[in-house]
Amino acid sequence: MKKLAFVLAVLCLGLFCLQQKSYAEKKTPHAEYKDSAIKDCNDCHKSEGVALNHDADFLRGHRVLASKSGKNCDQCHEQKWCLDCHQGGGTADNLSQSNFGRDYKPKSHRSDFLSIHPIKAIDNPQNCYRCHDAVAFCNSCHNRFPRGSFRIKSHLMSGPDHQTYSFGIGEHSIEARRNLQSCQTCHPEGDVCIQCHSTGKTRPHPRNWKSGNIKDRTNAKMCLKCHLPGTF
Amino acid sequence: MGIKGVSRLLLCMTLLAATTSWAAEIHGRSSTQYQWFTDYVTGNKQAEFGEYINLSITKVDTAGKLSFTGYGRGTQDVWNGQGLNGRLYYLYGDYANLFGMVDIRAGRQFINYAAGSALVDGGKLDLKNVGPIAFSAFGGRNVIFNLDGEASTGHDYVWGLAANLVGMKNTDAEVSYFMKLDDAGTAREQIGVTAKQYLLNSLKLYGNARYDLTSESFSEVLAGVKFFPVSNLVVTGEWYQSYPIFDNSSIYSVFAVDRYQEALFRADYSLNEKFSVNAGYNRQIYGEGPDVNAYSVGTRIRPIEPLLVSLTYDFQNGDGNKLNGGSAELSYEPIKPLELALGIDYDVYERDRATGRETARKYWAGTKYRLNKTMTASVRVEDNVNHQFTNDWSGRAAFNYDF
Repeated sequence: MKKLAFVLAVLCLGLFCLQQKSYAEKKTPHAEYKDSAIKDCNDCHKSEGVALNHDADFLRGHRVLASKSGKNCDQCHEQKWCLDCHQGGGTADNLSQSNFGRDYKPKSHRSDFLSIHPIKAIDNPQNCYRCHDAVAFCNSCHNRFPRGSFRIKSHLMSGPDHQTYSFGIGEHSIEARRNLQSCQTCHPEGDVCIQCHSTGKTRPHPRNWKSGNIKDRTNAKMCLKCHLPGTF
Repeated sequence: MGIKGVSRLLLCMTLLAATTSWAAEIHGRSSTQYQWFTDYVTGNKQAEFGEYINLSITKVDTAGKLSFTGYGRGTQDVWNGQGLNGRLYYLYGDYANLFGMVDIRAGRQFINYAAGSALVDGGKLDLKNVGPIAFSAFGGRNVIFNLDGEASTGHDYVWGLAANLVGMKNTDAEVSYFMKLDDAGTAREQIGVTAKQYLLNSLKLYGNARYDLTSESFSEVLAGVKFFPVSNLVVTGEWYQSYPIFDNSSIYSVFAVDRYQEALFRADYSLNEKFSVNAGYNRQIYGEGPDVNAYSVGTRIRPIEPLLVSLTYDFQNGDGNKLNGGSAELSYEPIKPLELALGIDYDVYERDRATGRETARKYWAGTKYRLNKTMTASVRVEDNVNHQFTNDWSGRAAFNYDF
């Protein structure tokens, strides 16, 4: 009880200090600078000790800038500005902006991105899924291609005339551990995985596997895909 | 659902046309477009008309607290028989400063918390002016788009809570919680933290983390520092790691995966208003397999005021894949209302030794003319030359009207 009182007292003191500090300091509203050129922002930012944030690094680094806390994006930009890239579309303001079909294509998707995306998709796998749903978006295209037509090492055609499909068991574990999301785009239900990774076969779980967490959250539906009731 | 959404937007606009009689202000943009492109899924050439509407309605009530904002599009294919397609990006009503401390937003909207982001059909409530911490809560249907429409099911919902510091000039911090539900139950449950701190007039420390409660692991951690000793130089150092997380309803959530790590160093320098340059290096590290080294350089040159040249180049290799390429863009305004622009993207890539090196090029050119303060017309064409196409032309013509 004493510990709890002490923690609450420290929290209250912290909040009080923060409140006093927040009264003394205020962020600069940016709405009146909405139409300023970016170059005009520099002097003020430097004198205020704030790093420039609309530089050439903006595309890569804007995720932290746009997080809720301290976000003042909406003083100059509508949600449109975000969604034109994140959800596709746009009103053709920028001539250098390319399209993929009817949707805008961000500059990170340069030249023939259809061919290059397998390389970029294994850089940081999270990057793709900030804008695209792994199943709904990727599967729209991936599920239309015949088996073996992708240049994935474990899925390459073999034989003297490269016409025989043989699954490369040795290669697949490295590829899957490195970018499991890409497996999901063609095998959304994981049927092919279960053939070898179900009960009594090769264990797929990580070392620190917390089985109870997923069991509780899915009412054991996920466990029952591989395990018999009462065995997990 | 996309079509229904656009219909809703158009219906709303029709009804709101009458609002002019009670002094509500309606502003926005109508963009009428014609686009032609290759549908890469079917391989067919496609052409379609599109209409984008972006509008905001303010001063609906006398106190100016109520406003509406919307953005959507409708497209009609004229070659392939794909017909009418639509996408409603957002359409929400805002009620600000209820009791001086509550902002309410209802409708389709984009939510971005440190713990997760989503496009939501629902509501968000922000509690402010209650001290140094503000609170936020949202909930609603999770809107998921695929290539041509919406892919949400009847069980896709999200909700979340956030608390963030306010009023601190040099400090930002947020803690948030995000839950995603689907037909199997709880699909994701994440806690997010983000923070920024400015120090000594020339340093910015920042970080961001997402913790997944199901797998009890950090799905993402970012820690970075920006050093800006003078106003025209920013040096960035970052360390980032991610661990792929899947919805609990996906079989992939039970599989072991490798942790991804990335170290980045970068410098951005502006010599003056006419010349700026940047260079960066990042090392991508996986648990198994070789690391990847990626280098990038870029420059923007404005030799005379109406002319801007932008050049970028990057190179990455190390894991059997190679990517080597860049882009050059030129923008010129010979007279004030006219803009001319052209560019080229050039990439040489090698996915594995068996396929060898391949080249992809994209050439584009465009022009935009401002007819008056409210009207702009533009045309942009693009040709893709790569291992699939000797020529693949696409483009768009747009007429924008601001009202």
